[in-house]
Amino acid sequence: MKKGKIRKIAISGGKGGTGKSTFSVLLANKLIKEGHKVALVDVDVECPNDYLLLNQKLRKIEKFVYAKFPKLDKRKCRKCGLCVKSCKSNAIFQAPDRYPIFLQELCSACGVCQLICPYNAIHTKRVKTGKIFATCVKKNLWLVTGQAKAGLEETGPVVAQVKKFALDFAKKKDIDTLLFDTAAGVHCPVIQALIGIDFAYAVTEPTPMGAYDLELLLSLSQKLKIRTKVILNQANLGNKKFIEKVVSKYKTQIVNTIPYSKNLAKAYSNGQLLDFKYNLKLK
Amino acid sequence: MKKKFKIAIVSGKGGVGKSMLSSSLAILFSKKYKVIALDADVDAPNLAIWLGEIGKWDKIEEISVSSKPFFDYKKCDGCGKCADSCQFNAIKMISGKPHLNPFICEGCGACEIVCPQKAISLKPVNGGKIKTKNTKYNFPLISGHLMPGETGSGKIVSEIKKRAERYKYELMLIDSSPGTGCPVIASLQDVNFVILVTEPTPSAFSDLKRALEVVNYFGLPWGLVINKKDINKTLGSKIDKWSNGRKLGDISYDQNIFKAIASFKPIMETDLRAKEEIKTIFNKLSFNIKNI
Repeated sequence: MKKGKIRKIAISGGKGGTGKSTFSVLLANKLIKEGHKVALVDVDVECPNDYLLLNQKLRKIEKFVYAKFPKLDKRKCRKCGLCVKSCKSNAIFQAPDRYPIFLQELCSACGVCQLICPYNAIHTKRVKTGKIFATCVKKNLWLVTGQAKAGLEETGPVVAQVKKFALDFAKKKDIDTLLFDTAAGVHCPVIQALIGIDFAYAVTEPTPMGAYDLELLLSLSQKLKIRTKVILNQANLGNKKFIEKVVSKYKTQIVNTIPYSKNLAKAYSNGQLLDFKYNLKLK
Repeated sequence: MKKKFKIAIVSGKGGVGKSMLSSSLAILFSKKYKVIALDADVDAPNLAIWLGEIGKWDKIEEISVSSKPFFDYKKCDGCGKCADSCQFNAIKMISGKPHLNPFICEGCGACEIVCPQKAISLKPVNGGKIKTKNTKYNFPLISGHLMPGETGSGKIVSEIKKRAERYKYELMLIDSSPGTGCPVIASLQDVNFVILVTEPTPSAFSDLKRALEVVNYFGLPWGLVINKKDINKTLGSKIDKWSNGRKLGDISYDQNIFKAIASFKPIMETDLRAKEEIKTIFNKLSFNIKNI
């Protein structure tokens, strides 16, 4: 590894609840033991949980994330309805001969309505859409948490801001590895989390659902040209062959299997995952 | 119960049992009502698997849920206004010409509007699929699929809900995505009741509260199901108390559920404890929604 370069690893997987966060913590622990300086970055901004696994509190807000939402100047508006037509998110509603109403919960804050309005009647207001927290968990391990406002429609931009913050943070603290723990699925917040990543792990489970969603994720990372290896969690339950099929189709490999363990589940539940003795070997 | 009653199943955290519960409730309700089941977890759609439906779909339709800009480089004079206008930073100027990162483009069309040379045109792209089939339980299943790398998950959800209106149904069950973002918001729109699913872990409880914030934003009545209740009885009871009498029932942790689904066997066709537990939930739910 080149000196000064910050390594960026993502932990994703497709299906929810397969153990992305658990694996992220185990991996972080392994890396700090090997002498790395690590920041775990929780980019599951709709439902961030890594702080609970690490027994931390989200107290000190390092930074707010903002987006510009439209605001109508009724003195200038002529109720022409162009904004309504231009909005691809269907976030503007207008009853006949009334002023348009802007529904923030559907708005992606793209700014098109403001651009299209012939009367300059649409201004923007900066609205807080998320928070970024950072804590030092222990020596050489930091946690950066992104949290979107509950009910925010477009959470991808929050992820982008959290990643940017994490990169600056890493430079300041001399951190050499960033682990990005993503949301489930393959939609915008996941895409945003994976962009610009050096390498990814996909955590899955040996069920047909795990396999189906893993395939979607591997297809996404292939398009984004991100090398992705598979971690099979709860490996002794269900049936491994579902996953093996997908793994061979995408020419990758299972680099670690984690068996179901009551103690691991307990450590997860009690926020004691860092103290959990687990020898994580990656092929 | 209102005509055309809609129930959404949400959770915040993924993997807590939404699809397992949705599929089982759909089977149970189908004995009483004309049911339609919707898989609105469009970027990880698994409801068909939980229903044991692994065969072919009756119909697969590609749909466009977003547009992307196309640049006419002959007309483009490299002014860079398009890149400035993009709130998602999806356009970068490289040696004087705009280049699109299609993966983060929202297809909003801001670039097209600001281009003084009219060098940008927005064209619809196919980013989603709607798959439909009549299940062996004789109710239709509509499943939304977001193609990997595409945006517009919320719009696919709205689209499958629209599609469902073509059917004569009495009860619609919407199996939502995890999280609280656009696909979940789209799932919650216009529903009559919400089932929140959780498990007794601090993560799931925390996510449950976030999901509830969105549910409350819409002012919807809700009920709670605690899955894997026995893995942490203390927290389980705490969540139970927190729900303030809204609990519909519990489901026990059982590794045999894994085994059943690995052989594509719906829970309702097994003899597992979960089957009886879900029946209890079904009875309570049926009673609760009678007067809505």
